[in-house]
Amino acid sequence: MLLAVSDLSVYVPIGILVLMAVGFAVANIALTLIIGPSREGAVKGQAYESGMNPLMSARKRFNVRFYILAMIFLLFDVEVIFLYPWAATFGQMSPQTPEGAVFLGRIMFFLFTTVVAFIYAYRKGVFRFD
Amino acid sequence: MTLALAAGGSEIIERLHYLHPEMALFAATCVVMVLGLSKSLAARKSAAIVTGLGLIAAAWLSLRSPGAETEALKEAILPGVMPYAKTLIAVMGLLALPMLTGVVDRAYERDVARGRAFDPLRATRGEFYAFFLFSLTGVMLCVTADDLIWIFLALELTSLPTYIMVAMSSGRLRAQEAAVKYFFLGAFSAAIFLYGFALIYGVMGTTSLPEIRNALAQSDELNPMLLLGFILAIVGVSFKIAAVPMHFYTPDVYQGAATSVAGYLAFAPKAAGILVLIMLVSVLGWTHGATGITLPAEIRVTLWVMAALTMTVGNVLALLQDNVKRMLAYSSVAHSGYMLVGLIAGPGREGDAATSGLAAALFYLLSYSVMTLGAFAAIASLEKRTIKGEMVEVELLSDLNSVCRTYPAVGWSLVVCALSLLGMPPLFGFFGKLALFTSAWEANEKILVVVLAINSAVAAFYYLRIAAAALFEERDEFEDRLALGPAPWRRLTAVAGAAGVVGLALFVSPLLRGSGDATQLGSQQTFIAGVDAENRPAQGIVNPSIAATIRADAEREQP
Repeated sequence: MLLAVSDLSVYVPIGILVLMAVGFAVANIALTLIIGPSREGAVKGQAYESGMNPLMSARKRFNVRFYILAMIFLLFDVEVIFLYPWAATFGQMSPQTPEGAVFLGRIMFFLFTTVVAFIYAYRKGVFRFD
Repeated sequence: MTLALAAGGSEIIERLHYLHPEMALFAATCVVMVLGLSKSLAARKSAAIVTGLGLIAAAWLSLRSPGAETEALKEAILPGVMPYAKTLIAVMGLLALPMLTGVVDRAYERDVARGRAFDPLRATRGEFYAFFLFSLTGVMLCVTADDLIWIFLALELTSLPTYIMVAMSSGRLRAQEAAVKYFFLGAFSAAIFLYGFALIYGVMGTTSLPEIRNALAQSDELNPMLLLGFILAIVGVSFKIAAVPMHFYTPDVYQGAATSVAGYLAFAPKAAGILVLIMLVSVLGWTHGATGITLPAEIRVTLWVMAALTMTVGNVLALLQDNVKRMLAYSSVAHSGYMLVGLIAGPGREGDAATSGLAAALFYLLSYSVMTLGAFAAIASLEKRTIKGEMVEVELLSDLNSVCRTYPAVGWSLVVCALSLLGMPPLFGFFGKLALFTSAWEANEKILVVVLAINSAVAAFYYLRIAAAALFEERDEFEDRLALGPAPWRRLTAVAGAAGVVGLALFVSPLLRGSGDATQLGSQQTFIAGVDAENRPAQGIVNPSIAATIRADAEREQP
């Protein structure tokens, strides 16, 4: 076996890391309980909402359009992520290489698929908020 | 290091040339998805035609895709698999397409025809065909795959659209129930085979299948972790082919989905699963055991038990069904068991397709696809009128009574396909089974041959029940009236499937030879440590740093 890991000792650093992570979490909770001042009160017990006064229960229904919109966001998000490595490599290509056009064509095709998805979402009425 | 990077980088680009059929399918998908939302009825209706054109283009490109003669593929797991398997998938997609017409939007299009304004949000026609094409793209990618991650993505691309196809196939609640069951169990199986893949990667340090095979060829004994990884991977992937112990969803899902979609489920995920299983098992190779021509003992026993149980469970439970969709679902389980026999038998003698179990499995996949699509399409072409006057799909065995007299084309297609599924000579299914028998006998798996034979005999009972109902049973006036469904194209799949099982029987030897060439194992390049390793192109290594590690190891090992 070329890369067979027969010796479990290589996992020791990972084990130490796991122990440290668990230890940190437990220690934080334990230390706050022990040394932290404990003052109770109606205001202290409120849900924290970035300094605003909480108005109502957070467990309410959202319009389903938010979810669809979130999915459309994912579409463009992933597209942008793929553009980065492409752009990084494209910048290094010498202008004389004949593959430049092919390279550009590929990413244009990729962008085109996003356009198709956009047309599809538009026709489905994702961007209509009435 | 830079050399490895360059080689690895160009290899990805090289691989794009293998993906032309998939690209054709994907292009068709893009068009279909938008066409289905068009305002004009003609454009919406053309979605199915564009799907067909995409499949024809994919079939043509598949025939021309690089095969065993390509230099770059010499080291692939199965160098010649692409032209044969991809063409098979595209042609079976074409065969399935007429069956899938009229599944979605029937009620909605009626409303629109009556004058209701067309709302794209309510129409699902484009999505249905798009998911069909996506799923077929996934099956094709399974053929091209030579990497564990690639296999995972391809299998999921095959399965995810089918979950949605099941859910949208019928307005009835049970379709949604079926889809949810299918989805959760599918995710569960994906977790199992992913865990297997993780273990394989953990032991081998690479996800590339040719690399793993080459490394394994060096060592005499297999790491137990690696074996566990392979067993988990095989069991997880067996969900896709509905083999025991992952078969439980099959009858419920097939019954819940519309008959057309059930027919598609009996083909696409199975094709993907069996191709991936062939590939995974080929990585281990049939060079183990006392005789040196079997799989590693643990893998062989796993597959052996799975095959025997799958055949038996499928056939015995099919005997108990009165619902013809459940019966065909269990029959599809049993057929997966038959195909597993080919995997155990292995590649057989060099250059002799008749002794190759892999060729037999691939050939059986072809014959099984034709006949099962034909049988499902025949049932999908029929409808019955209930007492309340509703038109519902045909499900019970008694619904098929005397269908040969009322609708001879559909009835006889069903009878011919059922007889072929049974393995009646001289139909196509018989030759598929014959190839499996021969290869298993050659590989000295005599007990498995006996199990296979007993199961074929058991299966005869329920296939003959279908044939007898269609041919001989009388229909009394109290029974629901049988009618042809509103999608006339489905009859085309039924008749074409029946014609296929009769006509393809004439081309058995070229097809078997083709599947033999397709499943020829790639050359196991022996790993040369030392000087040669420096100049060796990093073929198949996706991660250049791993290639460097392997080289460094090789240099260290050198005395």
